[in-house]
Parts: sequence; structure tokens; C-alpha cells
Amino acid sequence: MSTLAQTSRQAPVDDTFESHVGRTVERAISRNIPGLRIPQTESELDVGTTPKDLIYSRDTARLYQYRPLLDEIYRVPLLIVMSPVAKGYILDLAKGQSFVEYFLLQGYDVYMIDWVAPRREHAALGFDNFVCDVVGDAVNKVLEVSGEPDLTMIGYCMGGMLASMYTALNPDGAVKNLACFTTPVNADGMTLYKRWAEAKSFDIDRLVDELGIIPGDMVNASIQALRPLQKSAGQLNLLNNVHNDAFVKAQLTFDRWASDQLPIPGEVARGMFKDFLMDNKFALNAFELRGETVDLGKITVPFLHVAAEYDHIVPTAASKDLISMVGSKDKQEIVVKGGHVSLVAGGNAIYRLWPKLDEWLRERGT
Amino acid sequence: MSEDEIIDPIRLWREWMIKSEKQWSDHLTELMGDERFSKGMGRYIQEGLHSHRIFSDGMAQYLSSLNLPSRADVLDVGDRLGQIEDTLAGLQVEIREQRAQLTRLANTGVAPVDTDQPKRPSRTKQPPTKASS
Repeated sequence: MSTLAQTSRQAPVDDTFESHVGRTVERAISRNIPGLRIPQTESELDVGTTPKDLIYSRDTARLYQYRPLLDEIYRVPLLIVMSPVAKGYILDLAKGQSFVEYFLLQGYDVYMIDWVAPRREHAALGFDNFVCDVVGDAVNKVLEVSGEPDLTMIGYCMGGMLASMYTALNPDGAVKNLACFTTPVNADGMTLYKRWAEAKSFDIDRLVDELGIIPGDMVNASIQALRPLQKSAGQLNLLNNVHNDAFVKAQLTFDRWASDQLPIPGEVARGMFKDFLMDNKFALNAFELRGETVDLGKITVPFLHVAAEYDHIVPTAASKDLISMVGSKDKQEIVVKGGHVSLVAGGNAIYRLWPKLDEWLRERGT
Repeated sequence: MSEDEIIDPIRLWREWMIKSEKQWSDHLTELMGDERFSKGMGRYIQEGLHSHRIFSDGMAQYLSSLNLPSRADVLDVGDRLGQIEDTLAGLQVEIREQRAQLTRLANTGVAPVDTDQPKRPSRTKQPPTKASS
């Protein structure tokens, strides 16, 4: 037997701890240490790639129409209202993991209101601008482009607030169906923020007057405070799975999105802090926009609320009252396992929520 | 001995940390909800705003004396870039509308057919019947 054959058959495995560390380091280097190659931009992440056309823009809002993927689609168009503090690409991740692509493939005509970072000139934009102007104009544009008299509206997180406010203010309007995902309605359920607001130690007026636009980092820090060690745990989990390329890519994409918060116009921040958090006006049907009171009881269209059981950003305690407050007879709530983001992206969403949502929508989409 | 069988204390620590993260986070969040913390944070933000103002003003003067752009100048450039992006977005919308208009005219035979324009799907899809789904 040759020496080479002997070596390969009895390949000695050095099982000392030092050699294990050495092999791990070697392997990490040979794989270019994927954990350290952190994508910096949306194009590097390769997200938001489903073909779309910009059909309307106003202030910080952009309305996109996604190009249909089927020759035959449901009559009623689908308008997604994204949260103004988050980027819409979470709903359009990679091929096969995109909320938007999934619904295009099911035969829906999909539109989305996405947001860009506000500039100093946008500091005075408030909830009234977002609801009455942006959502109002977007609805008209979708009707014009689709040629249909009505649409289905889906709001995610704060986008759900905007969508429900618009529908409540326009009970005889074009919204045929309304679905809200993890939408905060009762500030009493947002314990930490409520305590901060009630301590009256935080001068929101001074902050808004001084900064004009509330920086994305500040928004991010306030969200991080709700679960301060989650990001660190995520990094440790990344280290444990550094050899799994798919895991690394997915984790980095989620991390990137989670820290990619958009700044908020000062007036919106003031409205969130004073009217929503301190006075809890949304839950009391006392939120006013341009002199009109937002009464969620006036929503009578078919309504779906989707909440996540382990959502720490909008806990179920903050969103569960929505279903009882809307006046619709046809209303349904789905509570799925998972958190704020895994509700709309990732395996949990793909296999659990999206098919359920499709089932709800298609019955009401003709 | 395979690599999986080797006890890696650092990995074990990481796994323990990941599993117990929620309890630690809840504990920290509880501490942050304390009135003393929120008062301290409020004070910190107010002082931060004040020192930010003083520092920005001082730095602006210093940069100006060196003939270098200040933060306000950079923000001005950012605003102008944003306005250009807005204009481009407006043009994009306008071009799309013009093409849609041309398609409408082509359908009536007034203008040539735009072959690049995607075909509009028919809006006649029906939900699958219970039996077929």
C-alpha cells in the first residue's frame, strides 16, 4: 500500500481544542467570512427588485404600481400603505420571499405607498397631510390607473393607522376592503412609551422645534429600547450560523432593514407623542384631522386585522382593540405566531399568513 | 471525535445568551420604564439638544473661518439633491402618463402602437371554487 493511500484511509483527526479553533478560523477565512461582508445599500441587498412603475409622488410619498405577472387578475386593486418610518422593501425581499411578488402571482393588481426620507421643508407635515393628502391622492390615482371604482387597502404598522384613519374619514369612499397588520390603536398597550410620555420629563415640543425632522437613529433607538438585547442576540446567532450562507443573508437583510428607519417629520412625531401616546386619542375615537374626528366605528367595509403573538414593537395589547372598534359586520382577526417583522417576511409569513390573507382577499376581490 | 462533539464553551455561552435574551431585555425595559430613568433620559435629551446647538454654532463659525462647508451647507446640498430627485420622480410619472395616453390613442387608431408598453391584463379573475381549491 502506498504512503498516500495510507494517509487518506487513516486521515488523522486532530481533536484538540486548539486544532478545532484553527480549523474554524481557516474555514471562516476560506469562506470570506460572510458575517463580516455586511451589505450597505438596498442594491447590495438585492431587495425591492419586483418590476414596478412610479405613478405618483408627493412630498415624502411615492406610489408604485407593480407590473402584473398574470394575464388575468382580480378586479379590485390592492393598495398597500407602508409605515412612514420604515422602508417598503421588507414587503419585497428576494424572489420567492416577496409579499408583493406572492400577491402578483395570485392574480392581484398591487400598488404600494412607500416613503423616502423627509427633508427640512417637510418638517411641518403632519398626520393630516399623510392621511388626507397622500393616502387620498394615492387612492384617486389607483382608481384612475386601474379604471376601477374601488380598491382594497392594506396598512402595515403605522401604515395601518393611516389606512384606518382614511377609511374612517371616508366611510362612503372607494375603500372596499380594509386589512391592517399589527396596527397600534391603544397607547395603553405600549407600556414603555406610555410611561415615558406620562413621566412628562420629555419635552417633545422643544425636540421638534429644535430638530424639525426627527432623525432615523433616534427612531431606531426608541424601537431598540423595547428589546435592548435583541440585536446583540441576533449577532451571536449569526456567529453560530456563519457557515450557512442563506441564514447569513437573511439575517443581514432583516438587520439592515430593522436599523434602516426613516426619519419622521416633526409634526408627525408631535402627533404620535401627544395625541396618540399621551392622550390616547386614537383609542378614544377623538383623533382629529382637519377638524374632523376619526371615529373607527364608521369603518363598515369588510375588515381584517392581523397581529403577531410575540410582537414587541406593537404588542397585541396595543392592537387588539382595533377589531372591536371598527363598525364592520364582516370582520376577522388573525393572530399568528412570530414578531413584528416575521409577520410579513420570512418562512412564517410565506407559509402561514400569506395564504390566509389571499383566502380573505380573493373572496372580496371581484 | 467530530467537530460537533467538541465542547465549545464560547458557543455554549452564545447559545445561553440567545435563549435568555428575552428575559434580560424585559428586565432592562422594565428598568427603563422607571420614572427616574425617563426623567434622566428627558434631561439627557434636553441637555443634548442644548449642547448640540452650542457646538453646531461654534463649529459653523470655525468651519466658516477655514472656508470649509458647515453642516448647514451639507444639509442645503442634501435638500437640493432631494428636490432634484423629486423633479425626476415627477418626470417619471409624466412620461408614464404620456405613454399611457399614447396607448389610448393607438387603440383608437390615431397614434402608432407602442410595442414596449406592457399588455394590460384582464380583470376577470374569479376565486377558485371550494372544490377546485
